[in-house]
Amino acid sequence: MITTTIIFVILALFLFILNRKKGKHWHGLKAGLRQLVVALPVILLALFLAGLLEVLIPEEFIKRWLAQEAGFTGIILGTFGGMIMAFGPYASYPVIATIYGSGAGLGTTLALVAGWTLLGLSRVPFESSFFGFRFSLLRMAVHLPLCIFTGVVGHFIELLFL
Amino acid sequence: MKKTLISLALACFVVFLLAYISGGLSLVAEGLLKAGQTAIQVLLLIVAAFLVIGQLQNLISTEMIKSWLQKFSGNKGIFLSSLTGGLFPGGPYIFYPFLAGFKDKGIPFYLLFAFVSGKQTFDFTRLPLEISLLTPWLALVRNVITLPVPFITGLISKRFFPHGVKGILWEEGDQR
Repeated sequence: MITTTIIFVILALFLFILNRKKGKHWHGLKAGLRQLVVALPVILLALFLAGLLEVLIPEEFIKRWLAQEAGFTGIILGTFGGMIMAFGPYASYPVIATIYGSGAGLGTTLALVAGWTLLGLSRVPFESSFFGFRFSLLRMAVHLPLCIFTGVVGHFIELLFL
Repeated sequence: MKKTLISLALACFVVFLLAYISGGLSLVAEGLLKAGQTAIQVLLLIVAAFLVIGQLQNLISTEMIKSWLQKFSGNKGIFLSSLTGGLFPGGPYIFYPFLAGFKDKGIPFYLLFAFVSGKQTFDFTRLPLEISLLTPWLALVRNVITLPVPFITGLISKRFFPHGVKGILWEEGDQR
């Protein structure tokens, strides 16, 4: 975790210097901090939710439905679980990390992330207001097998290398 | 954000009740302890992630994306659309109106389809959060596996739906 933090700090400094040439460095810093202030309550609540879920989800349930042993069932559950997860990234990532930490398989977890990013139902009303409902339906129909494929690849990575 | 906060608070309340009913106050306290430990671990990382996000958003402008998107077509266009979709700064409230602005400009449907897919798959402003909140390992594996998704989506669209979703936005004459 410390290594990642250091990498991010170095990256932020590098981008700060890069933006300095355009005179946008302070603007970038302010924008980042402003977003942090807005997102922090959501992140803290999500961590609270993730902590409670971690102690609440029965081990038996994880083993049977979401762990590596669940195989394709877990991948399907992950894909559709991600699809109905109506939170933004601040809230979704801690919850997904908790599910993975509780023993869910890599395939299930990746299908969950892919389902959330590519199929998220919460985006549909806004998207279809611009492009029509059929556009959203088509987008989801094309993305659905790709989410399952992501889960299957994750499952085999775990099976063969981890 | 307000909606997210409310729905999250509701979810927390429900899970809190469930934890209390199934394990009493000790289970709730255990959950809170775990949440606190994670918060301490990731807080600094989250601050750093947002500093990166703020700078990235200022580095790439909407105008830059617009000019890239209008330059190419075909497979090269699909590749570039996927990439620029991922690089597009801003959330859905900026992204969809921006895209809708292209409907009269003769941009092929498959390029916009790849653009939407690229935004949802790569979203570079989401990446620092994914690394900090999900773990770098999961973020890496997820991004590597889903790397070809927008290109595949664009190719499928070009092959099977070249004219888009009939009767909604893209008509035959819109093809480049």
